[in-house]
Amino acid sequence: MRIYEKVIKKPWPYWVGGILLALLNISLLLATGSPWSITTGLLYWAAAIMERLGFRPADWYYFNNSYEYGLKAGQGFLFNTYTVLNIAIIIGALIAVLWAKEFKWKRVKNIKQFLFALGGGIIMGYGTRLSFGCNIGAYFSAIPSFSLHGWVFAAFMFVGAWIGSKILFKYIL
Amino acid sequence: MAEYKLDCLYEACPIPLLKALKQLEKMAIGEVLILHTDHNCSIKNVVEWTKKQGHYIDYVEISEGEWEIYIEKAK
Repeated sequence: MRIYEKVIKKPWPYWVGGILLALLNISLLLATGSPWSITTGLLYWAAAIMERLGFRPADWYYFNNSYEYGLKAGQGFLFNTYTVLNIAIIIGALIAVLWAKEFKWKRVKNIKQFLFALGGGIIMGYGTRLSFGCNIGAYFSAIPSFSLHGWVFAAFMFVGAWIGSKILFKYIL
Repeated sequence: MAEYKLDCLYEACPIPLLKALKQLEKMAIGEVLILHTDHNCSIKNVVEWTKKQGHYIDYVEISEGEWEIYIEKAK
């Protein structure tokens, strides 16, 4: 029961999570040839929806001229490594929360929260496409790959977080 | 001693921490803040932050996935 308390129930220290994430990302790179990223998968899901609606996103300038596709032979917008990883994150989080007996249905608190979440989501989603990744793809996976863009992303992410929390603290809360 | 309640249900990081920060600024030494949350990151970052600030803190899981964090302002 003591081990359950310590390992499953209590939050892990940040350094344990950091080491585990690093090891998992290395294994992922070994197994699939590309490091972890999240929002690229969400972009492909959106593209798959657009395809179903009759558009042809595969012909768009964005996908053909400005972007390294990242999709391997036999993978489409819907069925690819990113989809597997994104679904696995949700399943993994569900297992962890059920195991810790902390599962709870949550609802939207009020209309203000809903609108801020929607607006923030749109801004973040647009930002990830301009920077070709989120804090996972363009930061967490970029820096260990010795890519300069990861450091640039990091610097401006901290600036953004600082400004964001100031605005949040002063004007919104 | 006055006791303040802060409803942080359904709210994610960093809202509970910032709300607690803002409320603690308004309180006098010795007063207690009770933060009600269902965000499990809060029992890590709110607790760590208040400890670092030197306040007294304790928390209890009041039902599955729901916590009350008690903070007594110490300075």
